[in-house]
Amino acid sequence: MHGDTIVALSTPPGSSGIAVIRISGPDAIGILDTMAPGARAWKPRTLHNRVLRDTGGEMLDDVVAAVFHGPNSYTGEDAAEISCHGSMQIVSAIIEESIGVGARLAEPGEFTRRAYLSGKLDLAQAEAVADLIASETRLQSQVALEHLGGGLSKRITAIEERLRAKLALVEASIDFSEEDIEAYTMADLVAVSDETRREISELLESEVAGGKLRHGMRITITGPRNAGKSSLYNALLGEERAIVSPLPGTTRDVLRERIHIGGFTYYLEDTAGLAEAGCEIESEGMRRGREAASAADLILFVVDAGEGWTCGALEELESHADRNRLLVVNKTDLVPGGGEAAAGSPAGELRTVTVSAVSGEGLGRLREKIFEFTANGEVSGVSRERIALNIRQGMALRRAEEALERLGRELGMNSPAEILSLEIREALDACGEVTGRSAAEDILEEIFSNFCIGK
Amino acid sequence: MKHDVIVVGGGHAGCEAALACARMGVETLLVTISRGDIARMPCNPAIGGLAKGQLVREVDALGGEMGLCIDRAGIQFRMLNRAKGPAVWSPRAQADKAVYHEGMMSAIEAEKNLELLEGEITGLAMAGGVVTGVMSAEYGELQAKKVILALGTFPNGLMHIGEKQIPGGREGEPPSCGLSDRLSEAGIERERLKTGTPPRLVKGSIDFSRCEVQHGDEEPSPFSFRTGRLVVEQVPCHITWTGEKTHAIINANIHRAPLFSGQIKGAGPRYCPSIEDKVVRFSEKPRHQIFLEPEGRDSEEIYVNGLSTSLPADVQLEMVRSVPGLEGAEIARYGYAIEYDFFPPHQIHSTLESRKIAGLYFAGQVNGTSGYEEAAAQGLVAGINAALALHGRTPFVLGRSEAYIGVLIDDLVTKEIREPYRMFTSRAEYRLSLRQDNADERLLGYAVRFGLLPRGQWEGMIGARKSVQRARRRLEAENVAVADAGKMRAARLLQRPGVSLEDVERLLPDGPLALGKRERESLEIYVKYRGYIRRQNRTAEKFKRMERRRIPDDFPYVEIDALSAEAREMLGKFRPETLGKAARLAGVRNSDVSVLMVFLEKAGAWRDGDDG
Repeated sequence: MHGDTIVALSTPPGSSGIAVIRISGPDAIGILDTMAPGARAWKPRTLHNRVLRDTGGEMLDDVVAAVFHGPNSYTGEDAAEISCHGSMQIVSAIIEESIGVGARLAEPGEFTRRAYLSGKLDLAQAEAVADLIASETRLQSQVALEHLGGGLSKRITAIEERLRAKLALVEASIDFSEEDIEAYTMADLVAVSDETRREISELLESEVAGGKLRHGMRITITGPRNAGKSSLYNALLGEERAIVSPLPGTTRDVLRERIHIGGFTYYLEDTAGLAEAGCEIESEGMRRGREAASAADLILFVVDAGEGWTCGALEELESHADRNRLLVVNKTDLVPGGGEAAAGSPAGELRTVTVSAVSGEGLGRLREKIFEFTANGEVSGVSRERIALNIRQGMALRRAEEALERLGRELGMNSPAEILSLEIREALDACGEVTGRSAAEDILEEIFSNFCIGK
Repeated sequence: MKHDVIVVGGGHAGCEAALACARMGVETLLVTISRGDIARMPCNPAIGGLAKGQLVREVDALGGEMGLCIDRAGIQFRMLNRAKGPAVWSPRAQADKAVYHEGMMSAIEAEKNLELLEGEITGLAMAGGVVTGVMSAEYGELQAKKVILALGTFPNGLMHIGEKQIPGGREGEPPSCGLSDRLSEAGIERERLKTGTPPRLVKGSIDFSRCEVQHGDEEPSPFSFRTGRLVVEQVPCHITWTGEKTHAIINANIHRAPLFSGQIKGAGPRYCPSIEDKVVRFSEKPRHQIFLEPEGRDSEEIYVNGLSTSLPADVQLEMVRSVPGLEGAEIARYGYAIEYDFFPPHQIHSTLESRKIAGLYFAGQVNGTSGYEEAAAQGLVAGINAALALHGRTPFVLGRSEAYIGVLIDDLVTKEIREPYRMFTSRAEYRLSLRQDNADERLLGYAVRFGLLPRGQWEGMIGARKSVQRARRRLEAENVAVADAGKMRAARLLQRPGVSLEDVERLLPDGPLALGKRERESLEIYVKYRGYIRRQNRTAEKFKRMERRRIPDDFPYVEIDALSAEAREMLGKFRPETLGKAARLAGVRNSDVSVLMVFLEKAGAWRDGDDG
């Protein structure tokens, strides 16, 4: 009915135990079959445990999968569902492999649309589905906008502008060759082509780091026992999750929850307090806590405003000197003077926020600081301008990169203007998929505003 | 007196429309204000040019007259863009305006189903939203089942020469006022556009020795697939330049330019600005190029290409005489700007039929275009569609991936017209396939099917095409020995840069290809571009899928809340015929297209349900 086969992650993005990838369309089962040979012969609607491999034979993941024959599927078409491990790298690899063998990335709402279209039709449903698609698309672009802070789009817009300026020169040389206008030079085009390709490659390299930014960064709360870490954890989550008790050493395992600050996603981790080991469990909890902290994108080191610094705490703080750290002086509600003393002393140059997890005072400032870290690129490892490519954007940029590679070859062969234009247009078109703009449309505008045209 | 079709206007659109109708066997009446001005060229004495040359070739492959006419009337032929790749080669010819007119006149007179009438049309006859004829000032009501309006710049035409304003459709001709007003009363929206023309100089008053000479091609290429070898004695053009002195004169008198004084309200073409516009907008440019083009082989008038202006007569003379070679020039006719009504084409279907008044077609400048070639292409399409409708046959709509004509009309029905629309090759996203050399391959089938060409003509054209295909198959089948690569397919060798068809032909084991010059050229281009074209075709396929999904003309966009407000407005205004056209409208986003798809599937399912 629809001709092509689509693929997408069906569970929310981010690290989780299991992620579900859905493929739907005439080639859905065939596509799964290339990763898990034999899938074509599977009994439908039955789970199979298999190792998925890419076309090169490399293992993708150990998964549970099932096939569905239309119309007995969610979409009414042939379909496959893969439950893989919930790491975004694995998910991306499986989706990209599916695309490599013939699927295309689903548009927002497309599964629902297909499900609807193969089912019963009535006006109310049509409207509901239409609303859903519209809101999903809008939400997605809104979220993208918030996440990216316009950084990526700014970068690509700059690339587009550069390419468009050159395309205008090339096009003008074709459409206005009889007129006395500036000509493009091969050397100039080569320079722009090389520069742009380099820049796009850089953007593509940031994809891994970008994925982290998009799918969540780790913030680990650590610090001495009973400094109020769990209270802070709960306060940031906005609900009771960790067991809070006035007795020191209550948290033994690492707790993890997702939070959003300023449009960014974080995994907030609460760890066991640091102290001399009292018992076996406690020290195991501390080991896990240290491990979590050593991999954190940002450490919130919490100290009790009333207690001040102990030698052990300072040592612990210093042991994470290679991470991004924020000193949180807690329990200011219990200390007259707001814990200035604790904040001022041995932590030195460390950025500090004073809060009361219990009264909520200072939490806003803490959130702002976390956001600042992220926005400045300190947490994510990427600056805001080198940000966050999702799979779709990554693919589009790769297409642009390939077009520019071909452009380089054509320039080397001294190819005619309309062939150069073909490649520049393709690169622009691919960039347009990221920024949502159609490239060719503006070319005549560009020509008219820059050249004196007209005999 | 009753006809099947009445064509109003005897310009380039009107002539092609009337000829197409008559050739398709319908009784046709062509009404013009003056017989002597049939197929007149009121501006440039030239046919073709970049992207326009492709249009002429397409019109010719569809059985139109323009190519044959210019082959007879041409006095200088050039294939433009020879230095670029063959996909953007465009033929252009200087025309002897008088000969062009005579050629078109005799084609019209030779057509047995076509009658020519001199008269002014002042209104439409209608019944229940359907056109039934036209009202003539001289003859009263003239009845017809279909009416094609090809009015050019005549609707409420107003010419400007400096402060002087003269109502008129072209120099020396009165405007058409009543018809535009009647259309407006019938609910057809109209807006104003502006265009202009340069002064004509007396040939004998020009010192050509001070100008550069520009000659035609040594071996001229004809426009028409039906013209054999062109034997023509070619006439040169000349090039000179404006300079600081010219610009100073313009700047000193800029307050008298209607374009800057607020006297002109309509929007003019940015690609064809007046000299005063160029001097003001690009003040850093020290000089502008001027082409001196003869209006005919024996004409005493020279067209001053590049000096379009509506400055007052005295300033025009002073300005002209500041140009090298023109120091002693006499002006035969002054340049002028003209404002006229057009009827924004969101009001027509891709068949060029009005959405509002059934049986009424619009072609040429009334749709906001500019150019003889753009007009001829529309006239042809309107004529074909009027005749098809009378025969009860499927309408004729060319796709963007099929022809420049398809691009032209698709642009008209999906874009806001803000200046006179002109064709450019960069508008055609499938440019590599839409070449002047293969217009016959792309379009000849339609001409045969519609009966636009006599058998004797299309048989020859198809024969030529088949010989190209045979040769193509040989290149794909035969191996040739190459020094550095052993044996390889001839076609692969030809794809190498720097290797010509002649080089390959010498190596062919079964001897040379028996092909004429034009066919050889076409074959070589095809093979060399094949890889690129294949890539382009992949995108074209996606495009065609979207084009196949039709949207009912009465689709209730206003009722669909899920569409963005902007999309609702644009969709309601343009009422796109297909999902592809909907997606091309400004302001329609991907999510809107998805939403439309849901409702279209629903509508489709209902229709199927009714049938079952």
